[in-house]
Amino acid sequence: MPTLSRRGFLASLAAAVPLAVVVRRAHAAAAQHLESDDATLIALAEVVLPSKALGKAGVASAANAFRDWGAGYHEGAELVHGYGTSTLRSTGPTPLTRWTKQLDDLDAAAQTAHGKRFRDVSAADRTTLVRAALQGQRVDRMPSVVDASHVALAMLAHFYESSAAADLCYEARIGKNQCRPLSASKAKPLPLLKLSER
Amino acid sequence: MTRRAIESDVCIIGSGISAAMIADRLARTTSASIVVVEAGDETVPLTARAAARDRTLRYGENPWGKDHLDGYEIEGPLQSRSMQVGGLAMHWGGVTPRFSPEDFKQRSLFGVGTDWPISYEDLDPFYQEAEEIMGVSGEQGPPDLDPRSKRFPMPPIPLTYNLELLKAWAAKAGIAMWSQPSAKNSTPYRGRAQCCRNDTCSPICPIGAKYSPDFTWSALRRSNSVRLIPRTLVRRLVLATSAKQISHAVAVDRDRPNDPVEFHAKQFVVTAGYTWSSHLLLLSAQDGAPTGVANSSGVVGKYLTGHRNVQGYVELPLRLYPGMNEQHSLVTKQFMRIKSGSRYIRHDLRVWESSVGKTPRLIDTAGSLMLGDAILDDWRERTRTGTARVRAYYDVIPDRSSELTLDVSKKNAWGDPLPKLAFRDAPESVELRGPTEDSIKALFDDMARAGGGKVLRTSVDNFQDHPAGGCRMGNDPATSVVDAWGRTHDHANLFVAGAPTSVSGSCANATLTFCALALRSAHEIERGLPKRGAR
Repeated sequence: MPTLSRRGFLASLAAAVPLAVVVRRAHAAAAQHLESDDATLIALAEVVLPSKALGKAGVASAANAFRDWGAGYHEGAELVHGYGTSTLRSTGPTPLTRWTKQLDDLDAAAQTAHGKRFRDVSAADRTTLVRAALQGQRVDRMPSVVDASHVALAMLAHFYESSAAADLCYEARIGKNQCRPLSASKAKPLPLLKLSER
Repeated sequence: MTRRAIESDVCIIGSGISAAMIADRLARTTSASIVVVEAGDETVPLTARAAARDRTLRYGENPWGKDHLDGYEIEGPLQSRSMQVGGLAMHWGGVTPRFSPEDFKQRSLFGVGTDWPISYEDLDPFYQEAEEIMGVSGEQGPPDLDPRSKRFPMPPIPLTYNLELLKAWAAKAGIAMWSQPSAKNSTPYRGRAQCCRNDTCSPICPIGAKYSPDFTWSALRRSNSVRLIPRTLVRRLVLATSAKQISHAVAVDRDRPNDPVEFHAKQFVVTAGYTWSSHLLLLSAQDGAPTGVANSSGVVGKYLTGHRNVQGYVELPLRLYPGMNEQHSLVTKQFMRIKSGSRYIRHDLRVWESSVGKTPRLIDTAGSLMLGDAILDDWRERTRTGTARVRAYYDVIPDRSSELTLDVSKKNAWGDPLPKLAFRDAPESVELRGPTEDSIKALFDDMARAGGGKVLRTSVDNFQDHPAGGCRMGNDPATSVVDAWGRTHDHANLFVAGAPTSVSGSCANATLTFCALALRSAHEIERGLPKRGAR
């Protein structure tokens, strides 16, 4: 049986079932694809995330956390109420289908340029491919994960809003948004462990 | 259609923080039967809040489930759509300063606004009682600026390493600051956990270290001290034949909308916040109260009040570590006391750690896209210095036309007009606005200079925070809705309590004051009820 590409699979779904069901299935299918192909996501993480500071395990962990974020996304969920308005807002369409298509596009570009899949080309070539993919994208500020126009930017946004990223930046064990002893807040945060000790 | 009638000694309409204070007090001191009616759903239990918070952090989802009624998109600046057991204080920040003594005497002392019929000293014991019910951690400020007759229930939330540095910076600018009093546990308190700096106090504390009214409701329900009925919207208060008394309240059970519910009680207490309290009174227009219940003065819905703020971010040559306890702040009341004879420019001042201007970016100074370690390196370089967030709430004196009215063009599912809100400054407040905002911005500049830093940006929030009023208290029935205890001038057995009764909004977070006002009402209400143990 021929293998169906991510894009082809989604297109076949769209032809067969009602829109709401398509959306749910498309999200699930995209999550499944990311789950089954973590090498591409990690290959992307290696060139967009701070791989020297994170180390190999740290990069893989960040890529997996990003994948899990995507899998856990719920469309149409009510967002935190704003103050000063009676307007309610909800989460938008799943970004996963967009991300999987963009990963496909990176693969296609790698095939065209190097005759290999994205995950199999060198880091320098992957960086060039990502830069090319981001040409024309809005990069004047770090976007929110869900609003990022490209999977590479979404991955960056996801990592840099994490507590781990803040600790890495400040090279200190701040532990933002984590349960920490109240009394310990008086002292300067302890230094971050070296990569070899983490 | 089946008509149901529920009887009690006291019927409390609304289950927010003011309602919780009143029910707590009445359950402790009387043997009255208490029914509490709430339009919204039950709230999310404490055991489910860690998971809810996780989704809020990851996806921005509302952690409080379906905490609103559909079809309530109203015109004007509604504080929040939340409507649930516990009210808006389910997601408050837990910040609990008291008003200042001069807040209650604006006209006498400064020639602006309206004096309250009560003084700070009158309210002091009720502030204390509210602080003890909630559990407030606080640091005594300078006693002349921050008077109190008893100690805080708990020691202050400790200042973080960051806030200690920022406190020293403020001192250089001649400003003495201290730890913001908060309804967050600095020690375990009445069965609730000590704060552990999860730092999501608003919108949700996952461990119950921040007080929210559901804790009071849970305790009162466990002891069968109250009957709390959710998903039931009170639509009208019906007068007794004499019109001096309320006979009953008519409500709709959202699960059985075709079966009207009547609540009959000796005392009715409307504690539905600044919007829904006035709304209910206006909706209740009938023979004997043609412009609404308790509205012979025509003041119901008028004099909505609150405070605006000026906010700024100051870059300082300090190595700060944002995220240590970002929602906790320093505070001073130094600028809430103005010199005699000087212009009425009055505000609070708070200082927080911040990451503004210090967040990671994608393009470098030359405009080139960064990837990989370059982003982290750039971020590290830019965080060698720190940012302080500074904010001052300032007094807004409400106009009579700062009001809630019924919007006949928009109706809820039961055909009742929705409210429409419009906040308007009194003419004297309009005149003061520019000089006040300029003065605050100049203060931020002075502070930045004192620390060798610079103001990154400032902004003015036009929204009036901690909105209140609509049923203002006063001694004169011609110009106020309730008396100094919250009893309506028109109906002997009807109280309005908490936020709606405020005369003015001060320039500090107001929830604790709403609670103190509600407790003061409770002391008056209990005088007409059987004492505990008497039945």
